[in-house]
Formats: sequence, structure tokens, C-alpha cells
Amino acid sequence: MTAKATTRKRSRAEAEAEKPVLSSEDEFEIPEINGDEDSSDDSDFTAGDEDSDEEEEFSSGAEDEEDEEEIDSDEIPSEDEASPKENGAVNDDTSDDEEVEPADNVKVVTGADGNPRYIYPEIEPVYDSDDTDAEETNTIGNIPLEYYESYPHIGYDINGKRIMRPAAGKALDTLLDSIELPKGWTGLVDKNSGAALNLTEEELEIVKKLQRSEITDESFDPYPDMVEWFSSKVEQMPLSSAPEPKRRFVPSKHEQKRIMKIVKGIREGRILPHKPQAEASQEPEFYDIWADDAPPKPDHVMNIPAPKLPPPTHDESYNPPPEYLPNEKEKKEWEEQDPEDREKNYLPRTHKALRLVPGFNGFIGERFERCLDLYLAPRVRRNKLNIDPASLLPKLPSPDDLKPFPTTCATVYRGHEGRVRSVSADPTGVWVATGGDDGTIRVWEILTGRQVWKLKVSSDEAVDSVTWRPTPEGRILAAACGNEILLVVPPIFDIEEENQGKEILSAGYGYAANRQGKKEAPGTWSKPDAALEEDGVVVTITVRKTVKYIAWHRRGDYLVTVSPEDVRRAVCVHRVSTHLSQTPFKEKSVTKGIPQRVQFHPSKPLLFVATKRYIKIYDLAKAELSKTLKPGARWISSIDIHPQGDNLIVGSYDKRLLWHDLDLSTKPYRTLRYHDKGIRAVSFHRGGFPLFCSSSDDGTVQVFHGRIYSDLMENALIVPLKVLKGHKITAHLGVLDVDWHPKQPWLFSAGADGTARLWN
Amino acid sequence: MGKIKKKGVAGNARNFITRTQAVRKLQISLPDFRRLCIFKGIYPREPRNKKKANKGSTAPVTFYYTKDIQYLLHEPVLQKFREHKTFSKKLSKALGRGDFSDAKRLEDLHKPRVKLDHIIKERYPAFTDAIRDLDDALSTVFLFANLPSNRDIPPQTIETCARLANEFQHYIIRKHALKKSFLSIKGIYYQATIQGQDVLWLVPYKFAQSVPRDVDFRIMLTFLDFYTTLLGFVLFRLYTLEGLVYPPKFDKKMDEMGAGLRAFSLESKKVGELENGTNGELVVKKDVSKQLETLGDKIKEIEEKGEEEEENNAVIPTTEEGEKVNEGLDKFTAIPSKDGATTDILEQPTEDLGGEGKTSNMFSEWTVYLSRETPREPLEFLLRSFGCKRIGWDAVLGEGSFTRDDRDPSITLQIVDRPPQVGLPPMPAGSEAQEGVNAGRGKVLGRLYAQPQYIWDCVNAGRVLRPDSYAQGAELPPHLSPWVKANEAEYDPTAPVEGDGESEEEEEEEEEDVKMLDNGQKKGVEAQDSEDEEWGGMNTELAGEGEDDSEEEEEEEEEDGGVELQESDAESEDDEVSRQLQHQRELEAEAKGVTVKDEKKSKKSEAKKKLDKEKKKREDEIERQKMMMTKKKRKLYERMEYGNKKKQDEKERLEGKRRKIEREKKKVKN
Repeated sequence: MTAKATTRKRSRAEAEAEKPVLSSEDEFEIPEINGDEDSSDDSDFTAGDEDSDEEEEFSSGAEDEEDEEEIDSDEIPSEDEASPKENGAVNDDTSDDEEVEPADNVKVVTGADGNPRYIYPEIEPVYDSDDTDAEETNTIGNIPLEYYESYPHIGYDINGKRIMRPAAGKALDTLLDSIELPKGWTGLVDKNSGAALNLTEEELEIVKKLQRSEITDESFDPYPDMVEWFSSKVEQMPLSSAPEPKRRFVPSKHEQKRIMKIVKGIREGRILPHKPQAEASQEPEFYDIWADDAPPKPDHVMNIPAPKLPPPTHDESYNPPPEYLPNEKEKKEWEEQDPEDREKNYLPRTHKALRLVPGFNGFIGERFERCLDLYLAPRVRRNKLNIDPASLLPKLPSPDDLKPFPTTCATVYRGHEGRVRSVSADPTGVWVATGGDDGTIRVWEILTGRQVWKLKVSSDEAVDSVTWRPTPEGRILAAACGNEILLVVPPIFDIEEENQGKEILSAGYGYAANRQGKKEAPGTWSKPDAALEEDGVVVTITVRKTVKYIAWHRRGDYLVTVSPEDVRRAVCVHRVSTHLSQTPFKEKSVTKGIPQRVQFHPSKPLLFVATKRYIKIYDLAKAELSKTLKPGARWISSIDIHPQGDNLIVGSYDKRLLWHDLDLSTKPYRTLRYHDKGIRAVSFHRGGFPLFCSSSDDGTVQVFHGRIYSDLMENALIVPLKVLKGHKITAHLGVLDVDWHPKQPWLFSAGADGTARLWN
Repeated sequence: MGKIKKKGVAGNARNFITRTQAVRKLQISLPDFRRLCIFKGIYPREPRNKKKANKGSTAPVTFYYTKDIQYLLHEPVLQKFREHKTFSKKLSKALGRGDFSDAKRLEDLHKPRVKLDHIIKERYPAFTDAIRDLDDALSTVFLFANLPSNRDIPPQTIETCARLANEFQHYIIRKHALKKSFLSIKGIYYQATIQGQDVLWLVPYKFAQSVPRDVDFRIMLTFLDFYTTLLGFVLFRLYTLEGLVYPPKFDKKMDEMGAGLRAFSLESKKVGELENGTNGELVVKKDVSKQLETLGDKIKEIEEKGEEEEENNAVIPTTEEGEKVNEGLDKFTAIPSKDGATTDILEQPTEDLGGEGKTSNMFSEWTVYLSRETPREPLEFLLRSFGCKRIGWDAVLGEGSFTRDDRDPSITLQIVDRPPQVGLPPMPAGSEAQEGVNAGRGKVLGRLYAQPQYIWDCVNAGRVLRPDSYAQGAELPPHLSPWVKANEAEYDPTAPVEGDGESEEEEEEEEEDVKMLDNGQKKGVEAQDSEDEEWGGMNTELAGEGEDDSEEEEEEEEEDGGVELQESDAESEDDEVSRQLQHQRELEAEAKGVTVKDEKKSKKSEAKKKLDKEKKKREDEIERQKMMMTKKKRKLYERMEYGNKKKQDEKERLEGKRRKIEREKKKVKN
């Protein structure tokens, strides 16, 4: 051991002394890779050195001392190399030093580089040598084997000798191997040897046993033969040689003592055998449980005591006053009811005498119900409002103070066959025009109810909308019938007025002629046929789809129409003076939803478009959307703008009447919901009275007082005034249109029952 | 921004627990849980937001408070349930083995028994709480006392119930606590005031009860368990406060002979006992000395007032003299104890002897005999609670009667419930009765005969009424519930018929104030009457009935022409229509040959028109106001209106019926 260590030291010293190292692999005779070998050798040596260091650590104390000495003499290479030279790998390819004197048993040969090369004899491996039990292990460490693919070796053993690659099989062999797997084949390659790693017979056996969850030890017998120690056969000899203890056959004194104790107790009467405990506990013993007399605590907040049953009423008496007795009808009704639906579980009866009163059948059932209620019914505390219902009603100013407003039906305009769709009062306040399902336009004298003029426009299509031009000069009536818009000057005025109207209308023909050949306009302006012209129709505008609503601009030059069926050109603006039609919204996406109603702002260049759910306000001057109102209704049916322009009412088919303050918010300021059916039309009075109204399919018109204050801080005052009933409901339709008289607080309504009415 | 709140960790989700969860948490079976809930008085709750309480599910579930269930975890009764489970396993094992003696031993010695004392103290921390909750307990106990035992109901239970019921009745009799009673078609209602708390209970008539199939007697018996325990403790306390021994002596022999209440005999505690008992020593000592001072006065006072407390009911006086002697003795022994009791509950005995004392002893002068067709138990209870000492009845009705001889001359009132037998000569009192002819005997002279309702009506009226209308075979006046307080909105059967014989509907609103005045007058008259009524003075309930015939005719006319006016759009139209109607009416009247009082008619129609107009205006105004209400408020308003209208309709219905009946009566008279 000591010798070996010295050799190591020495060789390390050598390695440190001179770097140019010789090749040691003379057997292979590959000079090219010598340089490489050097470094690897070197490293090997260091590794070996380290090994020896470890050895030192494990060596005993005495040897240690020697080692110390060795270390001390490390710098000077010691002379006695002889013994260390024994040390070497089995392959006898340890690296040698030329400078060192070769020992006697060292063969010297000339190396490939011409230098002498010492070949040391094989060293007999001794049992206690450090690498005896080390098998041929590859020392390359955790390096993939592929790195060595281009080399004939696959690594180095502990002595730095190359481990040669085992002869790999030919391609055919591999093929054969793959076809016929040898026994114990694993498909793995032994990293150390590079050969296929196969399992041996024993190993296979162990694996099999493990798979069967058996103990791998060969010597273990899981099923040994049973030795019947205790069998039916009576043995001659006892199994145990211990003698029978005395306690087995002598009565226990301890037990005797305890028994005697009990006996004594029984005799004295202290202990009662089978004491009648049951009897004692059966009778519940009562005592003064409230002896401490705690003051009554207030109940826990969450505790709800069970409500007491109400005391009986007169009708439960065995001899009630005769008025409480049910008559035949009530009796039958009670008997036919389901027992659960009955208000009371008994029917009042009368008996002449107490002895005639029978037992009550449902007594147990009633008590049982009460029991169930007590433990099954959830208890909820309900506050009973004990107030006069009248106090809930809001205080409203008396309608007498808000007069005038329409209260009674003054005139009924009869004549239309079928529904009257639309009604409009002329701006002078003398005439009222109506249009109906029978395809006629009629003009009536307001006060007398006389029909002064009638025009049959179409036989199959309804006149959906009639509107007078709002300016006092030129009495022009616009009517929508199907996809045509008729501009009519009814021949009921004096000649001058009539001519004035016709002039206004026909002035545009020249413009229309100039525009020939231009791209297709949304509406075509044309002269009506002779028959119609005779009746006063001056111009007809034809659009693509049915026009449902017409609204005039306040100056009377423009009118806007809605045809909801036309997706792209739902809203059309027509200019009377130039006979020009245009669609402000080319795309459907602009309005997002089918327009229902349109209206011009009474003073500003704004256009209000009501779609199904929203109201969009477009600035016509800037050509942009300025605001969107969200009334919250499902389907808007009509809108109207207050003559001052800051407020808006919206009627919807879901029965709501909404008041919007445009300055306040996009949400409605007030929602009134008192119609039984959907609202058809809403209208503000434009002649200076603070009135507005809504008409609905329930056949009523509700008139409201809607005052707006000039002070911006004060909200509008809305007071319901009157519900006007009179129109009959036909086919679920009631009042289809309403319009106010331009000057008086009079109201016109058009009903589905074929009449129009004046209310004043 | 605050921390994001996790769902289901606070609020409703935490506060409520479903029944299934509760049962799992307590690890008991559902029937056991039910028992536990009944004992502990735990009831389901309705969470404000069911969805939140049940993890977003809206399935119908029963919720309990988590805290309630939490408290149950440490309930000793729960532990008993578990013990019972193991016991039943042992028992079934023993039975399975055929080891019956072992089973018997187990049953006798090891059966866990649930004690409810702590629960009663816990549920009713104060004594008044317990009394307040006595209604259901008493009704159930009285019901079970009247049930036959069967497979579901053991006979011991019924015995216990009957005993408790009788003990309770004894207390009520002794304290004169009974206030009202009512004969209903379901049974007899009683109301007593105990310690200032009103207790109302219902006792069924003595008939075999029909048991519905869907009644689960396990539930009923669980309740009964609790109620009997509660009643036991309450009675113990009440008896102790009264200075009596609880339980009172019970004579089984007497009970078997049908003595009912008489089978019990109350014993008073001795003064020394009282001192050692529950009362504070000092107080009692003081009281005793005071008592001794005032003893003599009190004896006098009591004798004067005729308050005769019978302590030992087992002693039955047979003759008048004997009775007197007995009473004297009883009184003397009773007084100290009684006073002790009164001091205990801080109630002044003098208070009891005031105006109320008169009421509570209103039958004390009477000797009452019950005919064999009358219900003995309720009558005896009622009479005795109002001071009657001497009650006799037919031998058929059981033991314990004061006298069995219905010809006893001391009898002042006989309660009869059979129709009178005509043609039999009246018998003088005290004459020898011949055996076997009892039934065919006429009235005995020198006593009053009345039907049972008389007693009830006296009790409810709080004074002795004239027995005229309750005479044997007479048609009884209606028996009314004493708990219904007549108010404006409800129909009052005792009030005289309004506008009887006049055209009521038309003029109702118009003449409201007049009627009010009228009513006031009538009421005044009635009040006077009622003052006189005490044994003298006629019942003037039907005062103001007599009206002129002409008016009656008029009413008929009105009915003929009384076409309901239809509401039309315009008021002008209305007017026109009404005018036409008016005209038509006149024509019709002429055709009939009745002279129309033109002036009156026109006035009336005008007033009517005016009324209609006003009514319409009012309705319009309300409509208008409703328009401006929010939906929520409008709904509330409409609901309230609906409720009021229902009440009003009911009132009108009853009034209409009453009027009709009165009219028919009158016709019959004429």
C-alpha cells in the first residue's frame, strides 16, 4: 500500500514536471492521436491521484504518518521507484517516464517516436488492492456513447486504458436478432461494454417471480406442510411441560370477595337486584323548573314564535245567526272545492239543541295539520301595512284648475268603411282630413261633422297617413297610399288658395326635367292620371315600398316618409320645391333597426328617427348622429316632439308612455303605464296649450297636462287629466291616430271602428 | 375597489342549511331529526334569496338556520338517540337469539329514556313564556284524553293525558281563571287567563273520533310527549304557587265509576312545608304574621262574599246542613295556604273579590241539576269555575254527584236539553218519586229549567241572564263567538238591522250620517236595555223593526224599477238615460195603480243623480291618481283595495241575507 502510494506521488510529480507526454498506447500504434492521448492520460493520472488521496484518507494511522512523509517529499522525486513499478494495470499499458531509471524487471523498447519505452511487467492483482473489485468500468462518466462513435474504443478503464468496442454484429445479424429475439434480450446496450445487455437465466427467473408477486428467494417455501400441533388426536405427551397452575383448580378468592360484597349489599338492601328502574323513569318527575324565576328575556331577533290559531268566529257556532248559514249555492260551491282550497274546513250548520250536535269529523286531521305546521312550515315575519290605501295615492292638482282640455265627444265623423288610419287637422282649424282602410281620403268640416270632400285613391290599399302642410299658405294635403305619396290640393277652398297650392307643387317639374338621366332617385315624381288630377291631386311620388308615415318640415318645403319594409331606403326626404327625393341613410346599418317614425325638430335642423327600441337624433347640418335616446320600450310605436323642442314623448306597443327630457338624459324622465293595450299614437298640442295625449288599442285616449317651465332647474309637470272613452275596439284595435286642433284645445281621434271623433 | 368577494362564503349561503345537509351534519336519521326538531322547536326558515342560499339552485328545499343546527350538535337528546340506536341493536340481537329474558332485562334496565326537562327550561326561560305557548299543548292533550287507545296510541298515554287535563281543569276551577267559552261545531272552546296570559283551547265533544288515514301518529305522539312534559311542569308550578300538592290525590276507584273531575282531590301544603319549599323564607314569614293578624277579617269577608273554596273535593256534601259544616271546616284549613299562595304570585286576593269576583262566583247561589241528556263534563267544569258548588246529575252521568235525586227541593236550576213533554202535570218538589216513572214526569215546581246554552251565554255575558229565552223547548237565540269584536268594517250580528224595510241600497251613501246618528240612538237604547236586562227587561234586539206598510211597498217598487245603471261614456248620456229610466218607472208605477209620491220621487232621483255623478267623479279622480303611481305602489294599492272590498262584500252579503230573513219573518208574522 505504501509503495503504491509512493508510486502515485511520484508519477504525479513527473507529470507535473514535464508536460510533453509520451504516448503510451504502443499496442495500437496510432501515432496520430497521440497528442490527444496525452491530455487524456494526463487527466487519467490526475484521476488516479485523486484515487490515491482517497486511499490515504481511509488508511490507518500508522500508514498515514508515512504518507505524510511522502507528501513532504513530494517535491523531490524519490529514488525508490522499483516497487511502485509493480503497480500498473492489467493491460500493462501504464504510462512511463523516460527520465526515471528503469527498474530491473522493466523491459525497455524503443517507442514509435524513437524514445525508449519501458514496459513494466503485469502486476499481480492482490486482494487488497484498490481496484480488484472494480470491474472493467468505463470511466468516461455521464457522456453519451455516441461521442465515441468514430473511435474504435468506447472509453477508458480505471487505468486509463482504452476499452475497445466489442465487435458489432453485421447487418444480417441485427436483422436476425430482430427476427428471433434471443432469450433474455432486453434491447438495451450495456454502457460499459457496448454489447447487448441480455438477462441471464437467473435474472429472468427473478423477474418472472416478481411479476407473480412471489418472493424471489429460491430457498423460500411459501407452502410448507402444516404441522398439526392441535389435532383431534390425543397426544400421549403434553405439548408444554409446564405444570398446571393452582389457580386453575382452586376457586378465586378475589371473586369470592366481590360476590360477598354484592351479597352483603343485597342483604342490607343497598343493592336491588333487577331494580325497577324502568318504572321509576317512566313517570316523569316534575319539579319547579322555573324556581329561579328568571325575568322574561326578550326574544332573540331571529326567533319567530309560532302564531296562535285564530279564535273561532260566529259562523263556527253550533247555533249561529241564520244569516251565516250557507244557501244551496254556497253549499254546493264549498263541496265542489278541493279540500285544500277551502277557506274554512267546515260549513256553518245550525242545531236546535246541544244534544243534536254531532262530533266534528276533521278534529284529529285539524290537530295534525297544526302539528305539521308547527314543525314543517317555514316561518316568515310579514309586516302588515295598516294604512289607509288612500294615503298611497299621490296628490295631484285638480283638473278643474288645469282647464281647458277635451272632456266630451263633440262630433263623430262617420263615413269611412273600415278603419280610419290617420287624422289631421288643417292649420286654419276649419277642416279635418282622414284616411282609412277603404282607400279614401276625406275632408270634413270640423264643427258640423259634414264630409266636404272625398277622394278614392285606391281600391285595395289603405291610406296610411294624411298630413296637412303646416304652413297657412297653400293648402296642401299629403297622403300615403301604398307606395305612393299624393300631394293634393283639395278643391274646397277658394280659387286663389287653390291656385297658390298648385303653384307651389308644380314649380318643381322644371327641376325634375333637368335631372333626367341621372342615377335612380329613391322616389319618382310624376303627374297623376287625369281622373286623379281632376280631383285635385297635383303630384304623386312613387317610392319602392309601402309608406307608413309622413311628416312635414315646419316650413313646408320638405317632407319625410317612412316605409319600414324597405330595408335600405326606409327613410326618404322629399323636397317639394325641386321635386327631389333622397335617402339620408343609404345603409341599414346607419339607423340600426327598422325605422318606425321620423319627425323634424320644430326649430333646429334635426331629424328624429325612432327605430324599434331607440330614438336617434341626426344633425342634418353636420350630417351626423348627435344623440341616441333609450326609452327602454320594446317596440316604439310613435313619437312626438314638444313644440319647444326640448321634450319628447314616446308611445310604445308595450303600453308605456315615456316622457323624455332631451336636456336631462337619454333615459326617460317619466314613465306612465296606464293603458291596458299598446299605445298607437301620441301627440303634443301645438297651439299653445300645455296638453298632450296618447291613444291606445284599449279604445281610450288619455289626455295629460304637460307643462314645461322656462326655469331649467324645474322639471316638467305631468298631470293626467282625462280618459276619453268612446271608440269601440274592433279586431283588437282601438284608437289608431290622434291629432290636436291647431288653435283650440280640441282633439281628433281616428278609431278602428270606422269613425273619427272630435273631443272638446 | 374592494376585494373581490367569493361566492358562497358569507351571507345567505352561510346562514342557511338545507334539511339534507342538516341531517348529514347531525348524523341521524330523518325521523330522529324530525323528533329533535319538534322537541327543540326548530322550524324551517324562508331565506330572503333562495338562490343565494342554495348555491344558485332554485329547487324547492327546506332551509334551516345553520346556527340552529349547530346548537343541536351538543344536544343531550341527540346523544340519547344514538344510545337508543345501539340499544335497539342489542335488543334485536337478543330477540334474534331467542333470549327473551335478556331482552326483557335490556328493555327494563337499559332502555335509554329521553328527558325533556332541560329543553323545556331552554325553550321557556320564564314561566309566562310557557303559559303563553300552552294553547296547542292543551288542545292536543284534551284531544288525546278523549281518544280510544289503539295500536298507535298506548293506553298509558291516554291516561296521562286525561289526568293532566283533569288536573288543569281543577286548577282553573280553583283560580276561577276561566273567562269565556264557546260551543262550536268542532268542540267547545275555553279561554282562561293564567298569570295574565290568555290561554285558549278546544275540547272535542265526547264522541268517537274518526281517524283519517293520512295522520302520522308518530308525529302527533312526539308532540304529545313534549306537551305532556310541558304541561306537567306548568301544572307543578301552578299548583305550588297555589299552595297545593302536585300531583293531587287521584282516586282510581272513583275514576272508574266515571267521577271525572271528582276523582281528584286537591291537598294544600302546610305552612311549614311552604317555608321549606320554593319560597323565600323571609317573605313567607312576614306574610304568615300578617295573615294571622288579618285572619279573622278575611274569614268574615270571604263568608260575606260567599266565596266558598272547596279544598277537598273528595268530600261530597249530601245535605245542605252537612254541606255547610263541611264548607266551614274546609274554609278554615284552606285560608292560610291560599293566602300564602296569593302572596307568592303577588296577586291581591281583594282584587279578585271586586267586580270580577261577582262574575267568577255568579253561580255560587245555585244548586244545579243536570238532566241525563246534557253533557256533564263541560257543564260541571263551567259551573264550578263560576262558583257553583252544588251540582247534581243523573246516575247515568257518573259518580260524584251532589244529589242524584232530581226532585231534591234544594235544586234551583235544572239543565235540560230535551223537548218538553206536554200534558203532564207539574210535580211539587220533594214529593216521592216512583221508580221507573222518572222519565214520564212533568216539571218540578220551584225551580227553573234552561237549556245548556244558557250557561254558556251567561258565562260569556259575564252576568246572569234572563232564562226566558232558554226555557225548555224554546227556540234558542243564536250563540255567538265571544272573541269577535265587532268593528266598522265587519258585520255585527248583534247590531239591529240597518234600514230595515226601506230602500236601503239606494240611500245608503246618501243617508250615511243620518244612519250613523240613528245607530247611535239605537245603541244607546240598547245599552239602556242591557242595563235593565239583568233579570228583567226584554231583549230589544229587534227594536225598530216595525215600519209602515207603505214604505214596504215603496221598497218593492224600487226593486221593480231598480235597473242597474250602466256606466256610459259621457255624463250627459248618463243623465239622459237616468231620466228615461225615471220616466219609465213612473209609468210602471201608474200602471200598477200605486200613487207615486212625485215630490219625494223627484227629489230622490235628483239626489241619486247627484250621487252617481259624485261617485263617478271620485272614481275618475282615483283613476287619475293611479295613473301617476309607480307600478309597485299601484299594485300595493290595488291589493289593499281588494282586501277591503272582500271584507265589505262579505259584510254586505251577510247584511243582505239578514234583511231577507227579517222580511220573511215579518211576512210569517203577518
